Amino acid sequence: MTAEAGTSLGVKETSEALREALARQFGRSLHIRTLDTGSCAACEQEIRLLAAPHYDLHRLGFFFTPAPRHADLLMVTGPMIRAFDLAARKTYEAMPGPKLVVATGACALGGVYQPDAFTRGGIGETLPVDVWIPGCPPSPLALLQGLLVAVGRLAEKVQELSFTENGTPR
Amino acid sequence: MPLWFVRGLRRGVVTTRYPARPDDSAALLPTPPSFRAEALTVALADRLVAVCPSRALTRRREVLVYDVGACTACGRCRAEVPAAVTDSGQFELAATVRARLIKHVPLTHDGRHLETGEKDSP
Amino acid sequence: MNPVTVLAGAAAAWGLAALIALAGGVSRSWTRMCCLVSGLGGAAALTGGVASLLAGNSRVFSAGGSVVVGTLQLQATSLGGVFVALLGLVAVATAAYVPRYHEPGRGTGLYLAVYNLALLASLAVLVAGNVVTFLVAWETMALLCYLLILRRPRRADVAAGAFWFLALSETGFVLIIAAFVILAARTHTMQLDLIAARAHLVGGSWRDAAYLLALTGFGFKAGLVPLHVWLPEAHPVAPADGSAFLSGLVVKLGVYGIAVFGFWLLPGGPAWRGVLTMAAGAVTAAIGILYALGERDIKRFLAFSTIENVGIIVTAFGAAMTFWAYHQRLLWAFLLLAGLYHVVNHGSYKTLLFLEAGVIEHATGTRDFDRLGGLARRMPRTSVITFVGTLGIAALPPFNGFVSEWLIFQGLFQGFRTGSHLIAILIVLAAATLGLTGGLAIYAFVRGYGIPFLGMPRTRQAADASETAQPVAGPALLAVACAALAVGAPAVLAALARAMRTVTGVSLRPELLPGNLTVIPAHTKFSGFSPTWLAVFLLAITALPLLIYLAGRPRAASLTGPVWDGGIVAFKPRMQYSAMTFSAPTRVTFDALYRPSVSVRRASDDPAGRSGPVHYETEVTPVFQRYLYRPVIRAFEWLADVVRPIQSGDVNLYLFYVFAAVLVAYLIAAL
Repeated sequence: MTAEAGTSLGVKETSEALREALARQFGRSLHIRTLDTGSCAACEQEIRLLAAPHYDLHRLGFFFTPAPRHADLLMVTGPMIRAFDLAARKTYEAMPGPKLVVATGACALGGVYQPDAFTRGGIGETLPVDVWIPGCPPSPLALLQGLLVAVGRLAEKVQELSFTENGTPR
Repeated sequence: MPLWFVRGLRRGVVTTRYPARPDDSAALLPTPPSFRAEALTVALADRLVAVCPSRALTRRREVLVYDVGACTACGRCRAEVPAAVTDSGQFELAATVRARLIKHVPLTHDGRHLETGEKDSP
Repeated sequence: MNPVTVLAGAAAAWGLAALIALAGGVSRSWTRMCCLVSGLGGAAALTGGVASLLAGNSRVFSAGGSVVVGTLQLQATSLGGVFVALLGLVAVATAAYVPRYHEPGRGTGLYLAVYNLALLASLAVLVAGNVVTFLVAWETMALLCYLLILRRPRRADVAAGAFWFLALSETGFVLIIAAFVILAARTHTMQLDLIAARAHLVGGSWRDAAYLLALTGFGFKAGLVPLHVWLPEAHPVAPADGSAFLSGLVVKLGVYGIAVFGFWLLPGGPAWRGVLTMAAGAVTAAIGILYALGERDIKRFLAFSTIENVGIIVTAFGAAMTFWAYHQRLLWAFLLLAGLYHVVNHGSYKTLLFLEAGVIEHATGTRDFDRLGGLARRMPRTSVITFVGTLGIAALPPFNGFVSEWLIFQGLFQGFRTGSHLIAILIVLAAATLGLTGGLAIYAFVRGYGIPFLGMPRTRQAADASETAQPVAGPALLAVACAALAVGAPAVLAALARAMRTVTGVSLRPELLPGNLTVIPAHTKFSGFSPTWLAVFLLAITALPLLIYLAGRPRAASLTGPVWDGGIVAFKPRMQYSAMTFSAPTRVTFDALYRPSVSVRRASDDPAGRSGPVHYETEVTPVFQRYLYRPVIRAFEWLADVVRPIQSGDVNLYLFYVFAAVLVAYLIAAL
C-alpha cells in the first residue's frame, strides 16, 4: 500500500516525522470544509460522492462541516475568482489552528484559467496549500488518496511517477 | 474482546484499508497522459504545446515541461500525436509540494536521444 | 405599629409633596424635595400596607362629611393592604425616577402636584370604609389620572389618548355606582364592612346583578377585553412615570374592585359567576398578548402586556369563585392568594419596564422597536435592569412571575376536585388558554427585549444612545424588589396567607408552606417546589461552569478574531430581524383575529422585475373600536340627535318644562 522509496534519506525521515505528527493530530477525526471559489461544480459532485456508501468517508473519521470554526481542513476548488478573495481569507482565518488546505482540481492548481481581471488562476497566492490534488475532476478515489495524504495516513507517490516511457526518469 | 476492536479503540478508526481491493473503475476514466520520449521531437512537442487548452504543456529548449496538476485529461494531445502519447492510468496524484507535479520529458532530435547531457533545472 | 397611623402619615406626606410641587419654584431642587417627601410617603405606605395586611381589618374611622352624602369613613383592610403596599412600592420607585426624567419647570410642578394627589386619591380608594368615600375617591383618582396623562396637552395624540381614558373611566364609574347603590339599598347601610356582614339580605338576582355591574364597571378600569381600549391609547402618550403609575397601580385598582365585590362584599354565589369571570379573564389574557405581538411602539406593547396579566389575575379570581361554589374552600383562598401575589409581582415588574421605556425614549428619541437596536452595549445598566424585569414578566424561573404563575396554574390544575365534569373541563380550558398566553408572552418578550437591546443599532439615534444622565435608582430598586419577591416568596406568601385568613376565614398556612422554604398548592401530595432553593440551584448551576473555566483556562496566548459571518463584507443592521418580521408567524397564524389590511404599491408594473421600490403596508384592524365602540357611539349620537329638539332655545318651552316638572313632583308627593 505504501511506496517507501524516496529520493534521499533526509527527506524521507522528515516526511515520516511530519506524517506521524499529522496522523496523531487528525488521524481519528477530521472535519472538512469545502470552498468553491468559482468552479464548474464537477469537483463538488465528486466530493459529494465521497460521503455516499461506495466510498463512505465517515468510516475513515472524516466529516463535512459547513462551519469553518469547526473545520480542520479546507478543501478548495475553483480558480479563485478575485471577488471571492475576502471570503476565502475570512474562511481560512476563521478556522482554528492546526489547519490544512487542500487544493482540488485542475482549476485550483493553476490550469484551465489564466490569471486575468476576474480570476487569479489558482489558489496558490491566496491560501497556503498543503496538498494539491490534480484532476478534472479528480475521481473520488483520487480525492480520498489526497485526503489521506493530507492527514498522513498515506504516503504520496506522485514523485516516483515520471509520466515518461522509455526515457530518463526525473 | 476481538483484536480489531481494541486496535480500533487505539487508532480511533476501524475500517478497511484504502482501498480494500484494487478498484478498476478509476482506470477506466480519463487520466493524465504519459509521453514516449523517444518519439517526441521538438516539432511534435510544439504541436502538443499548441493544442493543450490548459497550458499543462510548455517546451523549454529540449525538454517538454509537463504540469500534471494543470492537466484536465481532455485527450487532445493524444488525438494530435497518438504515437507519442498514451494514457498513464495513474490517478493517485496528490502532492504536498507543487513542484512534484511538474514533470520533464526529454525530447529527441530526429529519433536520437539528446546527448549534450545538459541538465535543465526543473 | 398601628397601620392606620402609618397610612395617615403616608397620606400627609403626599399632600405635603403636592403643596411643595405647587408652591415651589421651577428649580431642580424643589423637584427633588417634592420627590423626597413623596418617596417617604411611599415608604410609609409600603410599611403601612404590609402592616395592615398582617394585622387584619382595622376599625372604621369616621372623618367628617356632610348631611347630604353622609360621613366619610376609612378602614384599613387586609385586602386593601396588599394594594397599598404595591402603591407604596410604585410611589418610591417613581419618586426616585422623576428628578432625572422631567425637566424642571412650571409644567413639571403642576404635574407633580397632580401626581401626588393621585397617589393620595388611590390610597383613599384602598382604605375607603363606606360607599361614598369609595366613589368620591374613585372619581377623584380618575380625574387626576386624566390630568396626569395630559402632561403635554397641545399634542393631538395626547388629547385623544387621555380622552379615551376618561370616557371609559366614566362609563365604568356609572356601572360601579349602580352596583354600590344596589348593595347599599338592599342592606340599608353605606358602610362596607356592614354590607359584607349583611350580604345575605341581598336577594339572589340582585346579588348577581350587582356583581355583574361591578365586574363590568371595574373591568373598564382593569382592562378586561373588550373594555380595554383605553390602555393602548393612553399609555404611549403619558409620560413614563405616568404610564408606570397607570399600569402598575391604577389598573390594579380595577382588580381591587373586582376582588372587593367577589370576595368581601358578595362572597360565594353560583358557579356560573366564577366561570364567567374566569372566562373573561382567560379571553383577556389571550387577546392581550396576541395584540401585543403586533405592536411596534414599546409602550403600546407593554400596555397590551398589562391587559394580558390582568387577564391572568382575573382568571385566578374566577377560578377561586368557582371552587367556592363546589365547597373547595382551601382552593378558593389559595387562588385568591395566588392572584394577589401576581398583582404585586406584576406591579413591580411592569412599573420597572415602563420606567425603562421612558429611559429608552429619552436616550434615543423614539419608542419604535424598528428604530432601536444594540442598546445593550450603549446602555449597560439599563439593559441589565430591563432584563431582570423581562425575565420576571416572561415568567421564567427563578423570578417572581414564574412563582405566581406556577401557583395559579397549580390551582387551576386541581379543577378535578370540584367533582363536576363540565366545570372541570372549563377550568382546564382556562388553564390551556393561560398556557397559550404564557408561551406567547415568552415569545413577545424575547422580541420586546431582543429587538431594542441586542444586535446592531438600526438607526443613528440608537447608535448614539447614552445613559449618562438617565434615572437608574428607581428601576434598580424595582429590580431588587422583583428578586426579593422571588427568592423571599415563602415569606411573602406567609404574609399573604395571614391576610387570607382575615378576608376569607380560611387558614391556609399549613397547606401552603409546609416548611423547608417549600410552597405547595393548597393540597399536600399534589405538587410543590421551593422558589428559594430553585434560585440558589440556578445560581450554582450557572456559576459552576464559570468557576471551572476560571480555574482551568489555558494560559497560552489567545487569538481574538471577528465573528464568522459567512464571508460577507460586513454585517448590516438591515440584515437583522425587525420587530414585525419576528412576530410574523403569529400574525399569520392568528390572521382571523388581526384581520390585517394590506396595501402594496409599486412604482411601475414592469414585469421584468425592475419596477423599483415596493411599498408594503399592513395594519392590524382595531376590531373592538370598529365593531363595538363605533356602533355604540353612533347609536348614542343618533339618540342625541333625536332628543335635541328638546333644547330648542325657546324660553317659553323651557318655562313649560319647569311647570311640568313641578306638577309631576307635586303629583308624586301627593300619591
